[in-house]
Amino acid sequence: MRKLFVASLALLMPAAVLAQEPAPAVTLPEAKVKAVMTAAVDGFIKPGYDAFAASAASTTKVVGVLCASPSKANYEAAQDAFRDTAKSWAHIEIVRTGPIIEQNRFERILFYPDRKSTGLKQVQAVLSKSDESATDPKTLGTKSVATQGLGALEYLLFGADAQMLATAEKDSFRCRYAQAVAGNIANVAEEVLGIWDAPDGIRKAWEEPGPNNPAFRTGGEAMTALLGILVHGAEAVRDQRIETFYKGPDKAKFPKQALFWRSQNTWPSVIANIDGLKTLLATSNMGDLLPEKDKPVVATIDAQLTAMATTAGSVTPDLEKAVADEGERQKLDTLLAEGKDVISKLNDGYGGAIGLSSGFSFADGD
Amino acid sequence: MVWRGETIDRRAFLKAAGVAFTAALAPGSLQALERTDAVYASGFRAPDGSFGIATVSERGEIIDRVALPARAHGLAHSAATGRIVAFARRPGTFAMIFDALRQAEPVIITAPEGRHFYGHGHFSPDGSRLYASENDFEGNRGMIGIYDATDRFQRIGEFDAHGLGTHDMTVSDDGSMLVIANGGIETHPDFGRTKLNLDHMEPSLVLLDARSGALIQKHALPPSLSQLSTRHLDIGDNGRIWFACQWEGARNELPPLAGWISKGEDISLLDLPEETTVRLGNYVGAIAVNRREGLVGLTSPVGGAAVTLDAKTGAVLREEIVREAAGVAPAPSGIAVSSYDGHFNATENAVAWDQHIISLK
Repeated sequence: MRKLFVASLALLMPAAVLAQEPAPAVTLPEAKVKAVMTAAVDGFIKPGYDAFAASAASTTKVVGVLCASPSKANYEAAQDAFRDTAKSWAHIEIVRTGPIIEQNRFERILFYPDRKSTGLKQVQAVLSKSDESATDPKTLGTKSVATQGLGALEYLLFGADAQMLATAEKDSFRCRYAQAVAGNIANVAEEVLGIWDAPDGIRKAWEEPGPNNPAFRTGGEAMTALLGILVHGAEAVRDQRIETFYKGPDKAKFPKQALFWRSQNTWPSVIANIDGLKTLLATSNMGDLLPEKDKPVVATIDAQLTAMATTAGSVTPDLEKAVADEGERQKLDTLLAEGKDVISKLNDGYGGAIGLSSGFSFADGD
Repeated sequence: MVWRGETIDRRAFLKAAGVAFTAALAPGSLQALERTDAVYASGFRAPDGSFGIATVSERGEIIDRVALPARAHGLAHSAATGRIVAFARRPGTFAMIFDALRQAEPVIITAPEGRHFYGHGHFSPDGSRLYASENDFEGNRGMIGIYDATDRFQRIGEFDAHGLGTHDMTVSDDGSMLVIANGGIETHPDFGRTKLNLDHMEPSLVLLDARSGALIQKHALPPSLSQLSTRHLDIGDNGRIWFACQWEGARNELPPLAGWISKGEDISLLDLPEETTVRLGNYVGAIAVNRREGLVGLTSPVGGAAVTLDAKTGAVLREEIVREAAGVAPAPSGIAVSSYDGHFNATENAVAWDQHIISLK
């Protein structure tokens, strides 16, 4: 433990009177916590970033082929590659902790929500100026985050005039810009993967909680963080992906605020988010930490997530229609209700069963 | 109404509450009210998942409940008017003002467009103004909203909090100065409660002129402590302003977790013993000063601890293991402590107490 420098000190303290013997807030079996955290990192987090980095690299190549040989087939292949990368990101996007939230990496991959259409305006400005510095992933990476991530790539491949990519001259500016965006995304993904891969870095901190650990002093703290990924991931699906455009039948609706509405990838992205939650829950073997009587809660949560994914998959990809049609709206209402149930079950069902009580989500910055 | 020191007078409370109010109480609650020497209020979550505010006896028994539309966080009480306000947990946009004696209808106010409440606020000493910490999330700056308590809490202005991630705020005893804890953490309602700038935080403590909003003094923390979020406040004797912190840096470091400032003086950070810092889990969730006894209470849900300090010297007088320790408030004797798992002083209730308690003094 390293004591931090204190600029101006109060008096030295006499010995304290300890009213009771110390006992950690949550006591969990060390070996099991280590196994769960190791499985979470090695079985979900690292493979998730690995797959995302590979998908982004593949998209970079596919868009490169389109730039070199514009054609309908190569254009559609580039669109398909975007869909794959967007889904690959959504799968690991649920991890909103660690290196991804440092140095604006998350925003560089996905700048969303964007209520003021900052991304659209800035991408259009790059296009209208044919800013050559946006065609190199390295220089693009230093520009506004709104011009260099998945939102920009979606507009370039699916937005106004995007079909010109199939018939344009070889190496058109729009195509080279799109290729640079894909390359930038791949670079950021590789960077994050590298940080998780480093032997003495965050991976070790996550897998070996202890008194000298820079991330977690106890198993309870580690499990709080792991459960936090699931809770905050589920909250993000409900609050940031659905409620951004639909909050209920009597509320204002904003279908064009939905993520990836242009490419009709809203629901594939949501389903991939949910799939990420299911995969983390399963591969980490979090249920091993539960008393026998509480173990069924994991299956319950998994079933709730499956129901959410099924509902999401049943909603029309045409979001204008989704918010206008009563039948479609009912599906959205169901999705919101299912999301609330999942969050509650994770917090109180799983969290409560391992002794985190309702306090789990309370101690997060307030 | 007669006020006695820091505690509400029980007979005055019963008289003011009136027969109708006491008759409506459940027998157990009435018994609790008749026994009590002090009354607190705190937010809670009920077993069915609903949220509310409860008034609480000295022993920790629930006296009365007010339902809330969503989860609350901090509260403020005006001794002059008897009004209590409960602020929505960030990034909530409502605040409910009610009368603990149910003599006036509750008032709900909402944060204006482009703002949300940060969860804390304070009344002016005469009860005519309510100040609330707010987020101007497009401008990425903390603000203090000003509401007219004499006119159904109309919003009548705002001051720049001179920092970001504004959290707790309070008012000097004479009403001349606003004291603000800028936690330094950027958040945006579009991203829920996600902390957006942990690698470049800007915590600070700020004093403002309550009339003009003019900056009196601002204390930033040194670079080595830039990840020390200054979040909660209480005022002790002689204008000493105590603050409590939450460390967002490496878990194996031992940062200072509390300190004080006074008008015209530099910041003082408390050098707690290493075992106390460890016990507090680098995270103090609430702070309260018992002026009469010269005590400062700190609680940590992360470490599961309640710590009592000597307000003059900063010496640790007592440490108590309190699993999921939540709120803290001055008690007639010592410091009152609640917990997420339902404990409030000597009583266990079937609710999850939220992070803060106020003393209805």
